[in-house]
Amino acid sequence: MQLTIGWLYPKQMSTYGDRGNILTLQKRCQWRNIGTRLIEIEPESRLESGKIDLYFFGGGQDQAQEVVAKDLKKFKKSALLEDAGKGAVFLSICGGYQLLGKYYQPFAGAEIEGIGILDVHTIAGKKRLIGNVAIESNPLLLRGKLIGFENHSGKTYLGKAVEPLGKIIIGGGNNGEDRTEGAWRKNIFGCYLHGPLLPKNPRFADLLIERALQYRWGDVGLTPLDDKEEIAAHESSFQRAKIQK
Amino acid sequence: MDIRLQTALLSAKASRKLLRRFGSGATAAPGLVAQYIDKDSLRKLAASYPNIILVSGTNGKTTTSRLISAILEKAGLAHIDNREGSNLTRGLITSLASYARLSGKPKEQTAIFEVDEAALPYVVSQINPKLIVLTNLFRDQLDRYGEVDTIRRLWLKSVENLDSATTLLLNADDPGIASLTKTRAKVVFFGLEDPKLNLEKLPHAADFINCTNCGSVLNYSQVYLSHLGAYRCSKCPLTRPNPQVSAGEIHLNDLKGANFLLLAKKRTITIESPLPGLYNLYNALAASTLGLQLGIAPTTIKTAIGQFKPAFGRTETFVSNSKKIFTSLVKNPTGFNEVIRTVFSGQDKKVVLIAINDLIADGRDVSWLWDVDFEPLAERAQKVFVSGLRAADMQLRLKYAGAASERFDDLEEAAEHLLAFAEKGETVYLFPTYTALIKLKAFFAQKGLTANFWED
Repeated sequence: MQLTIGWLYPKQMSTYGDRGNILTLQKRCQWRNIGTRLIEIEPESRLESGKIDLYFFGGGQDQAQEVVAKDLKKFKKSALLEDAGKGAVFLSICGGYQLLGKYYQPFAGAEIEGIGILDVHTIAGKKRLIGNVAIESNPLLLRGKLIGFENHSGKTYLGKAVEPLGKIIIGGGNNGEDRTEGAWRKNIFGCYLHGPLLPKNPRFADLLIERALQYRWGDVGLTPLDDKEEIAAHESSFQRAKIQK
Repeated sequence: MDIRLQTALLSAKASRKLLRRFGSGATAAPGLVAQYIDKDSLRKLAASYPNIILVSGTNGKTTTSRLISAILEKAGLAHIDNREGSNLTRGLITSLASYARLSGKPKEQTAIFEVDEAALPYVVSQINPKLIVLTNLFRDQLDRYGEVDTIRRLWLKSVENLDSATTLLLNADDPGIASLTKTRAKVVFFGLEDPKLNLEKLPHAADFINCTNCGSVLNYSQVYLSHLGAYRCSKCPLTRPNPQVSAGEIHLNDLKGANFLLLAKKRTITIESPLPGLYNLYNALAASTLGLQLGIAPTTIKTAIGQFKPAFGRTETFVSNSKKIFTSLVKNPTGFNEVIRTVFSGQDKKVVLIAINDLIADGRDVSWLWDVDFEPLAERAQKVFVSGLRAADMQLRLKYAGAASERFDDLEEAAEHLLAFAEKGETVYLFPTYTALIKLKAFFAQKGLTANFWED
């Protein structure tokens, strides 16, 4: 059994330690004797559908994001739509989240088109939301909290076809207004949680791994791991978030 | 001198005296007071100095400024600096105010200031610098500074407003810096010329990997550190400029320092620097370039660098309980990568304490730890302690790099364990973020060794 991870634009869209998410997926498979294969998906190469089980799409700087949006439309969109339709797993964060949505409306100039596999849209905000975030996970998906750190000025609004990933306990979230954070539909996830997200939220990491393996190999169950350090970091981050909010 | 400025000065001096009496470093408050009374304090106070030198960039500001200071001193050039103040606008004012005399001009003609990247545009707009040294740009505490592109955009605007009275000293190897040439200022490039240092591959934390001109991918024939190297755009004519001053034949002697051949206008001299690591070699090169620019003799530069003592917490070694403690401040991925590369270049197993805080001066976001390549440390550390407000995050990061560590959330407890673990005469390695460094140094100082940092 092997998990194939597709990392979208690892050089352009990896500004906030999001490599930790990839490391977490790899290690948590390795520790269970599940093989992993990492495919780095670079600009200007055409993406083929059907190869990737789990896509990761991180956050980048504004300038990189414009370049990536164009490349995505030209070389990647059709394969991504096809894989999304078949049930491949997607985890997108910050800029990646915005680009899986319908569009991003900057202050000036034309809308930046996303690939639209998440029913969300983003509008440039005046105030940057920066700080620790804690959310209560959507109970339809997972129990307990998710912890992270946000740093974004885009305000994301959810459409009817998605559920929020969770409800804000501490922090700004999707838009700083409706107390939601992230979006989710079937196997497609997006949120603003850096930190990075997966190391400190191991149950969510395992949920993604399990779903991606199921997509490829049918019914699989994951053996539990010793998550002492993961839980300690999760808890201490929550305590810091409470103090620093 | 005008009345408003005099009032500002008197108040700044009084508040400094008062704060000092209560044992505080007083690095910012006096400047803030002065600025509150006279918002043009910086411009007016700086006007007394015909030769102002500014140093900015993500990494190496403090060390480069101190090196320049040492070179000026060796050359007999009286000067002031801002080691007393912070590197923000208010810190510069604090320093200027402390040197200012209420009557007449100061005796020094030259001022050398280390300036925070975000503060640089305002500082440049207020004073007319003779020389500006720009070292490098890396992602750094994104919750404070924003993205590295944002800083570069501010700098682009800032250099556009300079006139021909200023000389810009730019790092040719950093595509984010070398392209800051839309200016009337004179531009001098410095860079490395040593093919054997090639890393072959850009590290994960490299930032400027696309052309600043057209956005296409940059091709590297040499990678020295992060995105610093010899590069060429894959589409447009942009290429690394040839440096007028360069460092070649580089020998990195582990933690003992580094030698290089300083080359300018066909003149060469070997510099023996006591500062370890390639990142410090860039600092020595930048300071040397500035010295040459001021017409200082190469032999004077050589002596000044050769006798240099590192700045507070920047790769300095001090002794406590008959253990040597090698300390290096860590604050961003590239800085931490280079410290790891330097410390773990040998084969011997080392004892390490990593202390990560998340206060404002450290950066509240600890995500950056995941952009650091900890694998060499994981392979070659004998024992790792982790501490600080984010000790648990650090321990988790190390777990995923394949290293076990022992965690003490309390800094002093961790420091005690570090000292107790080491053999007599052994060197241990301390990698703290800024506020952890201050606390740890205070702890070690209590045990009777180093001076407080505003006296160093």
